[in-house]
Amino acid sequence: MKKQDKVSIRKLPTGVPGLDEIMGGGLPEYSFNIIAGSPGCGKTTFAHQFVFANATPEHPALYFTVLGEPAMKMLRYQQQYAFFDHVKLNSSIRFINLSRIVLKNDLDAVLAEITKEVEAAGPGIVVVDSFRTVVRKAQGGTSETDLQGFVQRLALHLTSWQATTFLLGEYSDVEIRDNPVFTVADGLFWLYQSVERNSIVRKLQIMKLRGQASVPGLHTFRITDAGLQAFPRTLGLTGRKEKKAVRSRLSTGIAELDKMMGGGVPEGDSILVAGPSESGKSVLATQFIADGLRHGEPAIAAVFEERPQEYATRAKDFGLDLETPQKDGKLNILYLRPLDLSVDETMQEILDAVQRIGAKRLVIDSLAGFEMALAPGFRADFRESLYRMMGALTGIGVTILSTVETTESLGVSPFSSYSISFLTDDIIRLRYVEIEGQIRTILTVIKMRGGKHSRDIREYDITDDGIVIIGPRIKGYRALTSGLPVPLDQTGQKEPPPAKPTGKK
Amino acid sequence: MNDFPAMQNLARWLLADEAAVANTPEATVQVAVCIRVCEKLRRPLSTLTGVDGYRALISRALALSKADVPSLASMRVMADGSLESPDPVGQERDVDETRKGGASLVAQLLGLLVAFIGEALTMQLVRDVWPDAPVTGTDSNTEKL
Repeated sequence: MKKQDKVSIRKLPTGVPGLDEIMGGGLPEYSFNIIAGSPGCGKTTFAHQFVFANATPEHPALYFTVLGEPAMKMLRYQQQYAFFDHVKLNSSIRFINLSRIVLKNDLDAVLAEITKEVEAAGPGIVVVDSFRTVVRKAQGGTSETDLQGFVQRLALHLTSWQATTFLLGEYSDVEIRDNPVFTVADGLFWLYQSVERNSIVRKLQIMKLRGQASVPGLHTFRITDAGLQAFPRTLGLTGRKEKKAVRSRLSTGIAELDKMMGGGVPEGDSILVAGPSESGKSVLATQFIADGLRHGEPAIAAVFEERPQEYATRAKDFGLDLETPQKDGKLNILYLRPLDLSVDETMQEILDAVQRIGAKRLVIDSLAGFEMALAPGFRADFRESLYRMMGALTGIGVTILSTVETTESLGVSPFSSYSISFLTDDIIRLRYVEIEGQIRTILTVIKMRGGKHSRDIREYDITDDGIVIIGPRIKGYRALTSGLPVPLDQTGQKEPPPAKPTGKK
Repeated sequence: MNDFPAMQNLARWLLADEAAVANTPEATVQVAVCIRVCEKLRRPLSTLTGVDGYRALISRALALSKADVPSLASMRVMADGSLESPDPVGQERDVDETRKGGASLVAQLLGLLVAFIGEALTMQLVRDVWPDAPVTGTDSNTEKL
């Protein structure tokens, strides 16, 4: 069958940001759908968002309320959401209470009442909230065959009258099998919410959607004043571009460090700056941002450990003006609300900001703060999520500098507790060392995926003005990376010749 | 209640509007008009909230009004939410008192709606029945009163 011979199924916008992409473009028109989940997981809000996004006076929505939340309360609470448009009430959206019919009559009477209202109004959308209460009431004296017949006739009638239908219900996972409602449905959307330690984690899954390819798996979503917002787990990856063969180099803002990196950071790379507390990771990150701004490259700083104002004030102490570029729309310092984020929504916020200002550079300061900002349930997936996020962002040409705190003590040199070096293209390592009764700081470029780099271990210092001064290669010691170097004249070893730059051409 | 004087103004406007078309004998005009206004609101509100939901609302409104206007004592809410007001035995109805009672009851009902779903939605429901009703109670004039 040729493509042009196939029926074209119109896809309706769900009104839920991010959900259309998960559904594969929107909700099929005239489909018969179930929204399932536990109480409080967002079923009614989801249905309202769809209704307010699609109902018109010509194709109104009929919203049948049954024994669940009374319409009066529903209106009271739902009007708090930004999508609620009171002008649509009665002209485009009509609420009809079926409680008495459900309580006093059988399924045939319920079907007759819905049919009567549908035939009178000719709606484009029909919602039954909660359908579960209809079925539960009926099941007392109704066989499974009768119930299946009722659902079948309801679906047939509503589809024939060209209505896109939602039945809402509190179902549990174990009910999926053998439930006639699920068998008849074209679309089955399951909303989950769980408490993970002190945080609420919300996820949704499209378990079934006839006629189009939806994105499988669980996707996180959030309920805010704007209603539901979904975060597709594949966001950005599907359209990922290959990096250019020849890429320009971006300056870190520190000339000596650029030289150590073979001319700067390859555009579109992900760099990791790893080091212990107070070793200057954030200073390097701020210098990286500031240099981009000086060259007209908009930037995003995603900060987790301090508020934007504090971040800008600290930069000001170092002589870096982050206030003006923020006012000019060239810099966005994102403070992502801690404690219950999913990586997907963090990523969405960053992607939105990147697209909004056309950012070329991104700083994530720090990965430890990022992980702490996530709901505990998402921390187990942190590395996998980070991999997706970095892939998506570098895929659209953003150069990312992340900082990570290493927990190290003198004599021990763990690289990173996150084991995330595989995620990054370039790694800069900061370290404390004890030399001649002083704690000093050293810097090394560990890895440059895109080219040659220096293998020198260099001492560095950060002045009160935030200037990073990188000294010459430290000579005369061995075991510098252990933090407890030994003077070579005490070991009897000779100073080795300088190493040639290493890395790929 | 958010703005009860405004709801009282609106209630008086609705009663005056209905009185103009009611053509009911003077002795019972105010009670009949009040029942007629509530009856017009009962239909859409019963669809919205169910019969039981509307009955609960009008019962609450009546209870609040009775506290202020004793002449409403004989008024009852029926099972379907409609109102019934038998003539008090051996008593003449006071026209001013019944007018006051009607305005109070309708205002309390509107006030409850405003408290639950807000003024915008309440006014939309009212204007579905009385398209000429003033946009808010505060801008209602008293020409019809």
